[in-house]
Amino acid sequence: MNEPLKILNQSNELVSPELSDTVTLTTLDKAIDMLSTIVSPIANLARSNSVWPLTFGTSCCAIEMMCVGMSAFDISRFGSEVFRATPRQADLILTAGTITRKMASALITLYEQLPEPKYVIAMGACTITGGMFNDSYSVVQGVDRLIPVDVYLPGCPPRPEAILDALLKLQQKIRTENYAKRRLKGYDQRPVRYVDYDSGRPMEDLLAMAMEETKEVLTKQDNDNTK
Amino acid sequence: MTEKPAEKTEVKLEIGRFGKFLQDNGIKSKRQSDSNNVETIVIDAKDLEPAMRLLKTSSETTLNFLLCVSGVDYADKIDSVYHLWSYEHNDALVIKVELPKNNMTNTQTPCMSSISNFWPAANWHERETYDLVGIRYLKHPYLRRILNPWDWEGHPLRRDYKQLIDALNDKNPHSFR
Repeated sequence: MNEPLKILNQSNELVSPELSDTVTLTTLDKAIDMLSTIVSPIANLARSNSVWPLTFGTSCCAIEMMCVGMSAFDISRFGSEVFRATPRQADLILTAGTITRKMASALITLYEQLPEPKYVIAMGACTITGGMFNDSYSVVQGVDRLIPVDVYLPGCPPRPEAILDALLKLQQKIRTENYAKRRLKGYDQRPVRYVDYDSGRPMEDLLAMAMEETKEVLTKQDNDNTK
Repeated sequence: MTEKPAEKTEVKLEIGRFGKFLQDNGIKSKRQSDSNNVETIVIDAKDLEPAMRLLKTSSETTLNFLLCVSGVDYADKIDSVYHLWSYEHNDALVIKVELPKNNMTNTQTPCMSSISNFWPAANWHERETYDLVGIRYLKHPYLRRILNPWDWEGHPLRRDYKQLIDALNDKNPHSFR
């Protein structure tokens, strides 16, 4: 027996299954949508000409990334010379190099720490499919399995001109964007949970355990002193 | 027609210089064919620690530089291999310890004693060998995985290791794309 699905919206009203995947726009959303059609082209022009990449390199692609910053190719002609050492100030990750399973969690953390709007260029064969390490036990077969990718840049490693081309493609993409649409696609950022490497347990749990233990020891000492 | 596999003819090798030295000090060893003109000997797991101490400190050998500790997975046994080097005499020696696999599965690991208590250079090498080949070094001060994440299952360089197929790697491992 296949019963029809009962889907409720936010105010507990029954919604027909055909409409279940449509998004209900609030008045605030509508206002933002209207505003963004005016603001977005201007904001996007400014944004696309100052895409600051993150200094993120895990292998040989990073050498080409350094090369593109030097005077021969000079990425600063397109406003992206400011390689930031912290994700909080960056807009773009050029995933330069092979991503292993051990690096995967760090890459996800970095991506989540980037402020919106954020972009990813999957640079090199390794980050697109795993490259020549495709069948290796430790290599992630493409960063698109971890984070959303905007531009795929093939090559092993790609020439600096190719990086500039990918950047220009990304700039074109940014110019055609609409802020309101991007906002609807986004998700709530969750706080990063630090995990103890040896036991695999969250640090906050371990801290709470340690606090309890110290409390017990201190109360024991107090009791002994009063006796 | 089924041909019988040719029986391995073991050539009796003469005892080498380091083998003679160990024999004089009461440690039995078996010589194998040289690897790159470096003497290769096989010794028992229980004789490893005294032999290493002797070879390291004796003025006759002074093999006081541990190049590498590695593991090899054969069909019937797992070897733990130690490469030693002497700067003073410009000498080298390869020591192997054979650990038989008696119907061992991938979850079980062969055990032998660690040498990192008196030779700190072996510490990370033994951790790496444990991580990839799965030899459990007893009495090691901190035997944990060093290259793979802490929650890795199995030892990747074993013969019977099955590659994990999950969200990060869901392609057919036999495909030749």
